[in-house]
Amino acid sequence: MRETPKKRYTYYPGCSSLGSAAHLDKSLRAIAPELDVELEDIEDWNCCGASVGHVEGGALPNMALSGRNLAQAASQAPDDIVTGCASCYLNTHGVNEKIKTDIRARRRVNEALGAADLCYDDDLQVRHACEVLVNDVGLDVIRDRVRNPLDGLEVAGYVGCQTVRPFADTDSGGRYDTYDDPAFLDNFAAACGAEPVAYDPKTACCGGSVSVHSPDKTLHLIKEIVAAAHDSGADVIATPCPLCQQNVEMYQAAINKRFGTDFHMPVVFYSQLMAVAFGLDGTAAALDQNMIPPAKLVDLAKKPNE
Amino acid sequence: MAGAETATYDLGFAKWVAGNISGADKLSMCMQCGMCSGSCPIGTQMDHGPRKLIMMIRAGMRDAVLSANTLWNCTQCYNCTVRCPRGIPVTEILQGLATVAVAEGHAGGEPTARFSEAFWWSLAKFGRTDERLVTSRFYFSAGLAEGVRKSRENLAIALRMIKARRMHLGAPHKIKRRKNLQAILAKAREIEARGAGEGD
Repeated sequence: MRETPKKRYTYYPGCSSLGSAAHLDKSLRAIAPELDVELEDIEDWNCCGASVGHVEGGALPNMALSGRNLAQAASQAPDDIVTGCASCYLNTHGVNEKIKTDIRARRRVNEALGAADLCYDDDLQVRHACEVLVNDVGLDVIRDRVRNPLDGLEVAGYVGCQTVRPFADTDSGGRYDTYDDPAFLDNFAAACGAEPVAYDPKTACCGGSVSVHSPDKTLHLIKEIVAAAHDSGADVIATPCPLCQQNVEMYQAAINKRFGTDFHMPVVFYSQLMAVAFGLDGTAAALDQNMIPPAKLVDLAKKPNE
Repeated sequence: MAGAETATYDLGFAKWVAGNISGADKLSMCMQCGMCSGSCPIGTQMDHGPRKLIMMIRAGMRDAVLSANTLWNCTQCYNCTVRCPRGIPVTEILQGLATVAVAEGHAGGEPTARFSEAFWWSLAKFGRTDERLVTSRFYFSAGLAEGVRKSRENLAIALRMIKARRMHLGAPHKIKRRKNLQAILAKAREIEARGAGEGD
């Protein structure tokens, strides 16, 4: 057994963990013990409101959603909250910081929470899984755990928006990278033994929830994201964001139809790369949950009986 | 913008926005440099980019601001927010204006507003977003024919999601203490309805 003490976090999986981004959740839970990280779920966690909650729900009810999760997490442990979802992070972190710094917001959220006899008056930190990997775990430890290097796999690191904006380069956000040219994702790929390719649209926008309900407005954005990966010779696009993964993967057929392209570019999570590189099998890495099979990564993955 | 020549002006609008929209107290810092509009991924598909919308707020063009598709086409990429040289949280201000536009009936049949209604329905009812139900409720919010058309158009994606076990077939995922969440949301709406500065 390794001597390293476990790092404990309270984990917020978010709604996409039960649906469109089940493979992010599964692979994150698979790599955590490999990195001596222990995750305890927020009990009875609710939706954070994502990118659209405020429109129908209003600002305060939308904040109260995160307030309930924060109060529940605080009642479980004083540990930092960590989430792998960009949108869950944006909302939960944003509301947490607002409650800490804005007395009126704190009073109003707590008045609402009082309707269920809850209160959040703690000083928790809400952190993105990628920031935790960079600042707490460290690239050296990630590199150390690699038993199955991803030799020859060319990776286009697509960070997207909300993972880094607007918090990655703030004090409360851990100052782990820049907004326009973040390095962490390429560093993750390189640590896993893969080859990050030069990739311009690293922090371009996939259209977010606008792409979900009105892809006609945003297909051209996604096309550029896929085309640049294709032109750079990448085998896969890797991303940290549930919505980026879904939009960039599921709309390739529509893009091919509209623009006359022939894209079949797999889009995986960085945590799936790590799972394979740490020597876990393709099932633990949830590679069977990508709609466009990442063939080269599947070939590299250890088979269950190896 | 149609009707701009006969636009009505509400000279107290900028002040109202500054006092009622989160982050908008910084609007007076705007120097109209255009970094926000230049950074916007779909600014060219907006009636007015963020820079112009801010100028329209200052000019008191309340109705034109609240009915601009700028509020619905914002993808929340936060480029404008992190790049603004004056530290104005542009994205947050657009979010606040979108909420007001819906509440005051300016949203019409905008997809973002209909999608948000479906989204909020699921999270308030179950405590979580059921992507299947949100999507179908949104598709059918524009009428039966449109609902059937969009369902057909996206059937292939849905089937692939089911096959990949990223869309389940059973009952919606629910939290245990739904009444507890619903009580919190009802109270939050009540507090918000009291308005700014009224005993809050």
